[in-house]
Amino acid sequence: MSAMLTIDGRKVSVPEGTTIWEAARQAGIEIPVLCHDPRLRPVGVCRMCVVDVGERVLAASCVRAAADGMTVQTRSEKVERCRKTLTELLLSDYPADSAREKTTGDDLLLALGRSFGVRPEYLTIPRGDGRARDVSSPVIAVDHAACILCDRCIRACDEIQHNDVIGRTGKGYTARIAFDLDSPMGKSTCVACGECASVCPTGALTHKPLTAPIRPRAELKNVDSVCPYCGVGCAVTLHVDPAKNAVVLVDGRPSPGNESRLCVKGRYGFDYALHPQRLTVPLIRRAEFYPKGPLSGDVKGDGRRRKPGGLVDYNEVLPAFSEASWDEALDLVAKRLSEIKKADGPGALAGFGSAKCSNEEAYVFQKLVRAVFGTNNVDHCTRLCHASSVAALLETIGSGAVTNVFGDVKNAEVALIAGSSTTDNHPVAATFIKDAAQHGTTLIVVDQRETGIARHAHHFLRINPGTDVALYNAWMHVLISEGLVNREYIAKHTEGFEALRETVKRYPPERAAEICGVPADKIREAASVFGRAKAAIIFWGMGISQHTHGTDNARCLISLALLTGNVGRPGTGLHPLRGQNNVQGASDAGLIPMVFPDYQSVEDAGIRKRFEAAWGVRLDPKRGLTVVEIMTGALEKRIRGMYMMGENPFLSDPNINKVRKALAALDFLCVQDIFLTETAEFADVILPATSFFEKTGTYTNTDRRVQIGWKAVEPPGQARLDWEVVSEIARRMGYPMEYVTAEEIFNEFTALAPSYQGLTYQNLQPHGKLWPCPDPERSDGVQLLFGDGFPTPSGRGKFVPCEYRPAAEVPDSDYPFVLNTGRLLEHWHTGVMTRRSRPLSTIQPEAFCEMNPDDLAAAGIPAGAYVSVSSRRGSITLRAHASRRIAPGTVFIPFHFREAAANVLTNDQLDPVGKIPEFKFCAVRIDPATA
Amino acid sequence: MSELILTRNFHLPGSHTLALYRETGGYAGLEKAFAMKPAEITEEVKKSNLRGLGGAGFPTGVKWGFLPKGHPGPIYLVINADEGEPGTFKDRYLLERDPHALIEGMIISAYAIGAHLGFVYIRGEYVGPWRIFRRAVEEAYQAGFLGKNILGSGFDLDIIIHRGAGAYICGEETGLISSLEGKKGWPKLKPPFPAIRGAFGAPTIVNNVETICHVPHIVRRGAAWFAGLGTKTQGGTRMYSVSGHVARPGVYELPVSVTLRSLIDEHAGGLPNRRRLKAVVPGGSSAAILTAGEIDVTMDVDGLKNAGTMAGSAGVIVMDETVSIPDALMVVARFYAHESCGQCTPCRESTGWIYKMTRRIIEGKGRKEDLDTILDVARRGAGTTICAFFDGAVGPYISYIEKFRAEFEALIPK
Amino acid sequence: MSALGAVSVQFTREQLAEVRRLQALYPDKRAALLPVLHLAQEAFGHISLEAEEYAAGLFDLSPAHVHEVVTFYSLFFREPRGRHVISVCHNLTCHLLGAQRVLTHLKKRLGVDVGGTTPDGGVTLLSVECLCACEMAPMMQVNDRYEGNLTPEKVDRILAELR
Repeated sequence: MSAMLTIDGRKVSVPEGTTIWEAARQAGIEIPVLCHDPRLRPVGVCRMCVVDVGERVLAASCVRAAADGMTVQTRSEKVERCRKTLTELLLSDYPADSAREKTTGDDLLLALGRSFGVRPEYLTIPRGDGRARDVSSPVIAVDHAACILCDRCIRACDEIQHNDVIGRTGKGYTARIAFDLDSPMGKSTCVACGECASVCPTGALTHKPLTAPIRPRAELKNVDSVCPYCGVGCAVTLHVDPAKNAVVLVDGRPSPGNESRLCVKGRYGFDYALHPQRLTVPLIRRAEFYPKGPLSGDVKGDGRRRKPGGLVDYNEVLPAFSEASWDEALDLVAKRLSEIKKADGPGALAGFGSAKCSNEEAYVFQKLVRAVFGTNNVDHCTRLCHASSVAALLETIGSGAVTNVFGDVKNAEVALIAGSSTTDNHPVAATFIKDAAQHGTTLIVVDQRETGIARHAHHFLRINPGTDVALYNAWMHVLISEGLVNREYIAKHTEGFEALRETVKRYPPERAAEICGVPADKIREAASVFGRAKAAIIFWGMGISQHTHGTDNARCLISLALLTGNVGRPGTGLHPLRGQNNVQGASDAGLIPMVFPDYQSVEDAGIRKRFEAAWGVRLDPKRGLTVVEIMTGALEKRIRGMYMMGENPFLSDPNINKVRKALAALDFLCVQDIFLTETAEFADVILPATSFFEKTGTYTNTDRRVQIGWKAVEPPGQARLDWEVVSEIARRMGYPMEYVTAEEIFNEFTALAPSYQGLTYQNLQPHGKLWPCPDPERSDGVQLLFGDGFPTPSGRGKFVPCEYRPAAEVPDSDYPFVLNTGRLLEHWHTGVMTRRSRPLSTIQPEAFCEMNPDDLAAAGIPAGAYVSVSSRRGSITLRAHASRRIAPGTVFIPFHFREAAANVLTNDQLDPVGKIPEFKFCAVRIDPATA
Repeated sequence: MSELILTRNFHLPGSHTLALYRETGGYAGLEKAFAMKPAEITEEVKKSNLRGLGGAGFPTGVKWGFLPKGHPGPIYLVINADEGEPGTFKDRYLLERDPHALIEGMIISAYAIGAHLGFVYIRGEYVGPWRIFRRAVEEAYQAGFLGKNILGSGFDLDIIIHRGAGAYICGEETGLISSLEGKKGWPKLKPPFPAIRGAFGAPTIVNNVETICHVPHIVRRGAAWFAGLGTKTQGGTRMYSVSGHVARPGVYELPVSVTLRSLIDEHAGGLPNRRRLKAVVPGGSSAAILTAGEIDVTMDVDGLKNAGTMAGSAGVIVMDETVSIPDALMVVARFYAHESCGQCTPCRESTGWIYKMTRRIIEGKGRKEDLDTILDVARRGAGTTICAFFDGAVGPYISYIEKFRAEFEALIPK
Repeated sequence: MSALGAVSVQFTREQLAEVRRLQALYPDKRAALLPVLHLAQEAFGHISLEAEEYAAGLFDLSPAHVHEVVTFYSLFFREPRGRHVISVCHNLTCHLLGAQRVLTHLKKRLGVDVGGTTPDGGVTLLSVECLCACEMAPMMQVNDRYEGNLTPEKVDRILAELR
C-alpha cells in the first residue's frame, strides 16, 4: 500500500507508514529537525519539524505517518513562527562559543538561528542554573549549557550501541543529561564509542581534537577508508587537514557492515600515526652491540617494576643503531639473507608477515618468501588466533572463512557466543548482536568470564576454563536423545554421524556438569533452546581457539551446527570472529606455510605448477613451519635469518623468555615496522614503514568483505610503503618485482585466487564486496555460503568427534590458579599502536590482572595492590583489580603491556592440528609483590 | 437539594467499609451487570452521556468503544487516581469515604471491556487514601468480589494498586501508563491511543476515579435516568471541588447544569468578609480564568467550553478582590515550570521561561514588551506538543494577562 | 555493569522476597520499579546513589535508567531526610489563603530554610505543589498525614506533637 500526498504543492507517493518528514526528504524538501536522525527511532520531542496538515494543531512530521490524500505545508507562516519562537527559546541561553561551531562547524541550532535571523537579545533571561562543562572524558567534551535535551545521545547510546550509559537527571526545565548516576563522563561506565557526539546536533557533546584542531568539515579533505584495528572492518571517513598532514577526525561510514557505527579505537585511536616515536630512517645495528640481545630494561626482563604507561625508551635502544640510507640498509638485508640461503639452504630463512598489512602487502610478502627465499616458512599471527578454527573448518566443511556475516544475527532465533568477549574485541559487531538480543534473538553466552556481552545474554553458562569439548558434547548428547537434530540435513549434507553419536553418548549432561561446572539442567536447557531454534548462528573467539585442544573445540561447534542444519540459511552459520583488521585477507593472500593464496595447498603438484608458471621460479613442495615452530627453529639454529613485516612476536608469542633467546639466536633479523618494537631490539636492520593512513590497499574483514583503504596522509621522513620495500629486497636478491601501484598487485593476486575473482578497485567502491562475488557489477557478493553442500571431496560436511582432554598444564599446589589472557577494548595486541594513542592510553594506562575479590581476600591482598604472578616460565609484577566477573581460582591478564607482559607466563604448548599455543590456560601462582 | 449519588454515604461513619457499603445497596448492581452482555453495558454507558471527569471530558462509552474487537491478548483497565490538578480534591474523598464504589465500578467496567486485570494508580502523596483503599480491596477479595469467578459469574478480575511518586504529569493518561510501566512519566505519542496500544503494549482503558464510580449507578438505574440528570451532552452529577475565598470550601455533588454563580453563592456560602468576587478558576488551574462578570455559566463540559474556558477537573478556585492576579499567575507559572516533564522542547523551555518572566514582572523589573512576548511564546507553543500539558498552561497564561492586563502593566516600570 | 563498584545497601531476605513478589505481580517486571524504590526508601531512609545502583541490579537495568526514574519523581529523597518531613503546599488556593505565612512561620520555628533539615535530624521542611486538599487551605503534609486550616498556633501544636 502506498500513500499519495501533497507536500508544499508537490505530489509525493510513499509506502504506507512512511513519516511525513521522510516523505518530504524523498521529495527533496528538507524539514528542519533537531531531535531526529535517520539512524534513530523518531521520538518527536523537539517539535521543530512540525508541519501544517490542516488540523487544529500542528503535527510533528518526524513521527506522523503520511496519509493518503494528506496536504502538508512545511513552511506556512504559522509553522515558521512556531519554529522561530522555539529557536529563540533554545538560543536564549545558548553558550556563545558552541564547541561544535568551533570544531566541525555544523551546529544545527546555530544554523537554524541564522536562518530565522534570530536576534540574540530577544530573550535575555539566562537559565542561571550553573549547567557546567564536563571535560573528564579524554575524547568527548560535554557542555551541558549547549544541551537542548533532544535525547539523540540517549537513543544512540541505548539503541545503537546498547551501552545504556546516558539518561536524564531531573525533570522539566532543570533536567540535564547524565552519565550513569550523574557521574562525570570520564568516570562513568562510558566506553567512549563516540556515538553520542556523532549524533549530537549542538555543542553539547563534541569530539575533542586529538591530533590537530578540528576545522569545519567542509574545509577538510574526506578520505574513504576502513578502521585499522579489528576484523569487523568498520568503514570510516577520514577527515584530513592537508596543511597539517594529519587525520583530525574520523566518522563511521554507512556501509553494510558497520552502518556508521564505530568503537573507541576506530573513532579516536588514530593519533598513533603521528606519535613522535615513529621510525623515519632505516637503522643498522652498530658493531659494538653484537652479540645481539635485548636493549631496554623491559625487554631484558630484569625483574624491575615498570613505571605505568611504558613505551620503549628510545634512549635505551637507539644508541645501538646507526642511521643508514635506504640503499645501504636494503643491500645489507639482501646480502645477509642471500648468504644464509646459500650457506644453510632456503629452509634456514623464514618470514613473518602481518595481519595488520593489506592484502597486497601480504601477497607480495609471501611471494618474496616463497619465490625468492625459496621456502614456505611464512606465517603470521593468524597462527596465534584462529589457526585451530581454520584447521577445523577446512577439515570439516572445506573452507576456513565464515559461512555468514555477523549482521545476519538479526535473522537468528538463537545466537551462541562461545569464548568471545565480543564487546571488548569486536565492539561494533557486538552492537549488532546486542540489537538482535533486544529484538527477539535468544542469546546464549558461554565463557569462563562474565563478559560484557554476557550481560545481554538470556542464558549465560560460565564454564570451567578449557572444558568446552565436554560441554558441547553434552549439548549434542541432549540434542540427539531429545530428537532435536535435523535428520534430513544430516542425511543429505553430512557424513560421520554414527561416530559422533557414539562419542557424545558418553557425555550425558551430568558428566559434563562435573567437568564444566555448569549444572546439568542448565546444560539441558541451553542445548534444547539451541536445538529448537529454526535458525541459530554460532560466533566464537579466542576462548575456543587458543587451547591445545582448540581444533577440537571448533570441531564441536561445527558439529553442533551440522547436527541441527544451521548452515547456509538466513540467521544461521559458523562465524569465527576474526581478530585483526586483515587476518582474513592475509590468510587469503597466502601468509600461511601450508598454502598458496586462496588456500591452495603447496603440496599439490598441479597447484604448485600454476604458481611456478605465474611467478617464474621453482617452488618449495613442502609445507613450511608455523610461527611457534619457527621460533623453536631459531632457538635450535635451524632457522638463521628472518624478515618480519609488522609483527612483534616478542610480546605476542607465548613464553617470552624462550622468544627472547630465540630472537637473540638468529644470525640475521630484519624488522620492518612503524615503531621500534620490542622485537626490533633484536634486529640487525630496522626499516621504517608506513602506517595505515599513509597507504592504499585492500583489507578483508571477518565477513569476507574486501574493502579499500585509501591513502590519507604522507608518510613521515623516509618511511616507505611496505610492498615497495619488499619489492626492493626481492630485486636485490635477484628476483624482479616491478609493481607501481597496489592495484596492480591486487590484480595479480585476484588472478591467482578464485575466491577473489572479478574484484577490482573500481567495483570495490564505495562499500567493498563480500567474496566470493560472481557478479561484482550487480551484487554485494555472496553472504550465505554452503546452502547446498560443502567444498569437500564428498560435498558433505564431516562430523569429527572429539574426546574431552584437559589443558596441557593444570593447576597444582605450587601453581594453583588458572591464567587466562586476552584483550581490552581500548588496546590492540602488543600495544604498539594503541599505547601511542593518547586517548586510548589515557583510558587504560597500565598493566593489571583481574581476580575474584574472594581470592584476593584469601591471599590477603587488597584490591589495587601490586602482585607478582608467576608460572613455571617466568614472573611479572602488576596491579590486581578485583572483579566478580572473574571466577574464583582464575586470573585474567590483558597481554598488551610490555612492562608486565602476560606472555612471560603463557605456555607454548601447541594444539597438534592447528599449531596454536594455549594462551587461554596455564597454571600460575599469585604472591604479594615485594617492594 | 438534588439527589446525591456518589457522595450519598459520605456523612455516614464507616462509609469506607464493606459492611456499610453493602447495607446501603452496594455491590447489588453486580448481578444485574453480569446478566448483561459486556457490549450492552458499554452501550448503556454511551447512552448515559457519562463523560470523563478527570479533566478531558471525553465521552466514556465512546472511549471504551475504541478497543479492538475480539482482541486475543490481555486488555487492561487503569484507574487514574493520580489526582493532582490544583484546586481539585474530589477523588481523595471517594477513595477515603467510598472505596467500594470504585471497586464495584471497576468490576462492572472491566467486565464491559473484557479486562481481567485492573490497576489503580494513586498519587504517592495520598498515603491515607491508599491505605483505606488497600483495605477495601482486601475486603472485596475476601468477600469474593475480586479474584476468580466473581459471584459465580465466571468473570475474573484482579486489582493492583500502584503508588505514584510525585509528578503531576502522571495524571496525563499516557504519562500515567509510562509511570505504571516503571519509567519516568513521559506521555507517549498518539496515535496509537491507549485503547489500541496502552499499558505494556496492550489495549488499555484509562478512566478517572469519579467516572468509574458512576458506572454501577448507570447500570442499576439505567442510562436514561443518568442522562436525565444533566444536560443534553453530559449526563449525571459531578463532584465540584470548591476552594479559595468562599465561606464553605468543600466537595459539592451537583447536576452539571448548575451555574457557577449558584455553586459559589448558594452551595459554598458565598465570599466571606463581605468581600467582592474578582475572578474564578472554574475547572482546575489549567482552565482559563473567569472574571466576576462571567460566572453565569452552567458547569457542564460544553457550557464552560462555550464560555472560553473548560470544565476540566471541576476544581473551582474563587478569588476575592484582594487578590493580585499577576501574583496568582506567578504561582501558577511556577507550578507548570516545575511539573513539565521536559520531553517536548516548546513546553519545557516555555514553561521555565514564562515563570522567570512573571517573577521578573512581580519583582518590578519587567519590560513593557514582556507581556506580549509571554503571550507570543504561549500561543506559538500551544498545540505543538505530545500531550495537552502545555495547552493547559497556556489557558492561565493568556487569560490572566488578557483579562487583567492593566494589573500587570501597573507593575512594569514606565 | 557497575557505576560505583561495591554497593553496600542490601535488602533483608524478607524485603527481597517482597521484591520478587512485586516483580512477578505485573505483566512486566520493570513495572515493579516504583514500588521497589518506595520499599528502598522505606528500608534505607532515602535513595542514595548506591541504592539506585542496587535497584538497577535487581531489575537488570543500567544505572542511568534507574537514575532517570529516581530523579524524575519528587517523592524520592536523594539525601538523608529528617525523622519527620513537613511539606507545605504553595499552590494557588493555599497561596491565596496564606501559605507563605505558614512557611515563614515554620522556617522561623525550625530554623531551617526550605529543603533543609533541622540540625538534630528531626524535621525536613519542604515547599511543594498542590497536594489536592484545597478545601483545608492553607495546608501541609506531615509525614503521611494532611494537616489543614493552618494558623501559626496550629502549626506550633503540630510541631510540639512531633517532638
